Amino acid sequence: MNTVMVESAAPAMVAGDAESDRQLVDQAKAGEPTACDALARRHRRAAYLLALQLLGNRDDAMDVTQDAMLRFFTTLKSFDATRRVQPWLFTIVRNQVRDLWRRRQRRPGDDIGESDALVGQLATPQPGPEADLQRRELKARVWRALAALPAEKREIIVLRDFHDLSYSDIAQVLGIPIGTVMSRLHGARRQLRARLEEGGRHA
Amino acid sequence: MPEPCGRTFDEALLSGYVDRALVQRDEQRVRVHLERCARCRAVVDDLRAVREATMTSTFETPRDDEWSEAPRTESSRLLVGLGWPLATAWAVILIGYALWGGWQETENLVERLLLLGGATGFGLLFFGVLLDRLKAAKTDRYREVHK
Ligand SMILES: [Zn+2]
Repeated sequence: MNTVMVESAAPAMVAGDAESDRQLVDQAKAGEPTACDALARRHRRAAYLLALQLLGNRDDAMDVTQDAMLRFFTTLKSFDATRRVQPWLFTIVRNQVRDLWRRRQRRPGDDIGESDALVGQLATPQPGPEADLQRRELKARVWRALAALPAEKREIIVLRDFHDLSYSDIAQVLGIPIGTVMSRLHGARRQLRARLEEGGRHA
Repeated sequence: MPEPCGRTFDEALLSGYVDRALVQRDEQRVRVHLERCARCRAVVDDLRAVREATMTSTFETPRDDEWSEAPRTESSRLLVGLGWPLATAWAVILIGYALWGGWQETENLVERLLLLGGATGFGLLFFGVLLDRLKAAKTDRYREVHK
């Protein structure tokens, strides 16, 4: 394990980023290698984190992300540059993850398999006051409970609450009607709450 | 016991409320309901706490040098993928042939030892490089320039 870089959560894209993404996509389509590099640098971490949160394993997440980035660049020509890059890349990541599951004969209804898989990947913060300790414990409990959820429930929660995607972006990534996002998300959150209460009683 | 809220009110609206994703009319409805329903207020507080914990979590991610700049093309991966098994087969046959041929050639113990040592050295070298490549292949896929 030689990961030391700490990545902050919720790499929410602001308007300026979307604008410069569009320019980069145009340049990358024209075959500008530095634009490809810049796009990859900008988006691969979020893609990796989504893969990690779905798979729970660093090596698999890395493989899936590299494959997803490859697909991203090989399909760039057909990408409509007025759309945003991140939901599109997330769609690719999700498809790659599903392919991997299919090969391993796992189902989207399965949990991660190892309850500490995600907690173990959380960055270790500098020692701080007690309030921080409590918040850290809550985070650990949340990610442990998320790991125990069926992947399709974890997925929608992570897209909304970690990656901060809007309901319409979530609908796009999951390929579902936007009108169903809220009820699905709430169903997943209810399940997560039940898990947390269960975990709290055992802890 | 307060009556279950689900009868008057779709509970999923609470998620929409937390996410600020409701149209004004629904948001108003939720706000009015929350004023008189402690149970739903607790749900909203919980949803917010979990969302905040999730959102402020940080994960370790690969260092910049663990990524390479642009992905390899499918075809170069295919060629490299085919190349290594062929080269491995070639190395096995070559070493076997050299050993077998050389052994027949001479009765001299020193010459036979030299032959054995050389073949073993070459074999170790080749398979050592092969093992490294196999390991590197996992993390190294972006080395070549995408075109
Ligand atoms: Zn209520």
